Amino acid sequence: MTTEQINKETGEKKKRKELKALGFIIVVLFPVLSVFAIGGYGLIIWLIQAFGGVIPH
Amino acid sequence: MKWFKNLWQTLNTPAKYLTLGSISLTAFIMGVMFWGGFNTALEATNTEEFCIGCHSMESKPYQELQKTVHWSNHSGVRATCPDCHVPHSWGRKIARKMEASSDVWGWVFNTVNTSEKFEDKRLEMASREWARFERDDSLACKNCHNYDSMKWDTMSKLAQKQMKRAAEKDQSCVDCHKGIAHILPDMGTARAPQLIAEVGTGPSKFTNEQYYFSALTKPLFFSAKGDVEAGTLNVATKVKILESKENRVKVSISGWRKQIGAGRVIYYDFGINMLTAQLSKEAAKTEGVINGFEEKEDEMTGLKWQRVETTLWTDAEYLITEQQPLWDYARTTFRSSCSVCHTQPDEAHFDANTWPGMFQGMIAFVNMDQDTQALVQKYLQQHSSTFVKKEH
Repeated sequence: MTTEQINKETGEKKKRKELKALGFIIVVLFPVLSVFAIGGYGLIIWLIQAFGGVIPH
Repeated sequence: MKWFKNLWQTLNTPAKYLTLGSISLTAFIMGVMFWGGFNTALEATNTEEFCIGCHSMESKPYQELQKTVHWSNHSGVRATCPDCHVPHSWGRKIARKMEASSDVWGWVFNTVNTSEKFEDKRLEMASREWARFERDDSLACKNCHNYDSMKWDTMSKLAQKQMKRAAEKDQSCVDCHKGIAHILPDMGTARAPQLIAEVGTGPSKFTNEQYYFSALTKPLFFSAKGDVEAGTLNVATKVKILESKENRVKVSISGWRKQIGAGRVIYYDFGINMLTAQLSKEAAKTEGVINGFEEKEDEMTGLKWQRVETTLWTDAEYLITEQQPLWDYARTTFRSSCSVCHTQPDEAHFDANTWPGMFQGMIAFVNMDQDTQALVQKYLQQHSSTFVKKEH
């Protein structure tokens, strides 16, 4: 194999990797993170209220 | 793990094949979709259709609402479930949505799926809503109703007086207007339901030689089985459990009594008119019920007092392990009830023997059941200048 062929091979692999990573972020990571972030925020406010604190409107 | 390492490596190095254009376009589209999707979900869960999607919400609260002015009236404006039950500000709304996860729990485990179960839990659920309205100063009501827009002339004299006073303090609407959109929980037969909702009914098993506190004024009995009452145990009173038998417990009550008559009233301490228990004449005369100890003379009144210990039976309920929740409830009640008409005095402004007269003189002006009355009076005495040294 020539160096060109090797480069092309790893290049194909790399591209697949990048697409996979992007897909993972879109489908799994960011949805999960955003749900946790907003849910956590709500939970914190709820807990503060539950333990007698008053949140300004 | 290897999979994760690979992924991290890819994410951590500049993209070689994906273009800047495609990455930023993806980010943009995702941003739009997430933002939009989130708001759509928030709106969708904030509709009446969503709320009454559950059978228990449709069959009870929704049907009850339809009989009220919040459902139909001459102006044609109506309130939907979320108008009153979900706060309108963003942060609190999200918090309420998280809180609603317990509703999902209830739906999964069928906690209120029948009429009987719903009625059993009605008071608990209503109390929770009232607590939220109070915390928010009835903000949900005030999104539509506004003290400033009220037309005083069209109100009755009494309504004007009450409303203007409430407006001055920006009072929470639900303080007075309970049970206007749904049926009120049955509070007629239950004693001090809000107090019990707060402090609980106590443990089901008792440890001997441990101290407990009465959550209500309780009847005392001569024996573990009989129906003959020997007197009453005052609310928020410390008792020692000596023995448990089926539905009764044997308690030891200590205090002081005045050496007059049969001496059947037991007080908290020497010279302090704070009720602990009141025995019947029969009980006071029965050998072994009251055990007397040392005597002391009160110089102020010239009365002789005697330290006593009483052993009697009571029902194994409404005996709780801590006294503080009772005081907390009493403090809130005292502050809110008395401040309707005037600035309430500091607890430590009077001593323990002055408070009952003060309190009884005012009690006719407020709506307080017997148990709550007894509790608040005891709270005031216990936190009076006799026990709390405060400069004023």
